Amino acid sequence: MVWSSPSPEKTIAVAMRRCYSTKPIEEIEMELEQKGADYWKYLLTKAMQDKSLDVLEHFTMTLLAEGAEGADVGDLLRNFPYLRVTRLEGSDWMVSLNARTLVELWRAPNGKAFADVVVAELDKGRVCPIFNEVAFGVRAHPS
Amino acid sequence: MDHVVYMFEIEDCSRVTTHQLVRHRAVSYDQESQRFSAATREGVVTPPSIQTNEAAYKAYDEALKTVYSAYERMVAAGVPKEDARYILPGAIRTKLVMTLNARSLMHLVWQRTALQAQWEIRELATSLLNLARDATPELWTKIIER
Repeated sequence: MVWSSPSPEKTIAVAMRRCYSTKPIEEIEMELEQKGADYWKYLLTKAMQDKSLDVLEHFTMTLLAEGAEGADVGDLLRNFPYLRVTRLEGSDWMVSLNARTLVELWRAPNGKAFADVVVAELDKGRVCPIFNEVAFGVRAHPS
Repeated sequence: MDHVVYMFEIEDCSRVTTHQLVRHRAVSYDQESQRFSAATREGVVTPPSIQTNEAAYKAYDEALKTVYSAYERMVAAGVPKEDARYILPGAIRTKLVMTLNARSLMHLVWQRTALQAQWEIRELATSLLNLARDATPELWTKIIER
């Protein structure tokens, strides 16, 4: 994992509240901060249930993928056009994606293996325990 | 360029301008919904060409009053906001969040800061450029120098 959006679950919550609130963004952010992680989880769960996956697109991440064959990367790109991939050297790649694409990869037979690696990286780095639990059923590490 | 990502919070631009904005692809948008939020008379953008023209402003203001009066009467009569909004003007102010990578932002800035672009989206694109340049100065200095 090279980089990921800071406060990913809060970022998703901001995008979701933006759709349904007339308040200025500062007030939305303050409200979300006050209500805390349980509320972000509630909003994320509702977004997943309602299939409003667009709000997940604001949580983005960049990874270094090593040892991937060009043909396999090309196959992924054909099926998931919102993946952004740059070949670094040989079989090393810089890959950027958003959380919606990650969910779509995870749900697709030809994307699941790659998605599992990304989810494991997110889990290992404790980047987004609420998102991992709600989207993929991955339990957060004990703190 | 594909791996540098910006998230912007945009407020108080018109729906006319966000219709232009969403023509830019590979960008994620989430915008204040008119299905659930009530529109207010105060929340409109007035173009300078109308603001500075007395006769035009009078026509604009009268039309807005008529439209908003009809909107409020429809909502009061029980029409859902999502249906009453069909009458709302493009001038209405809106709020959104937008996430895009540096490549998409460069294309947006290139197109929308051009003199042919309309004044409001040109102002918006210039603000986006300035914010991106503040956040990642080395990248944008190189882009602008190219």
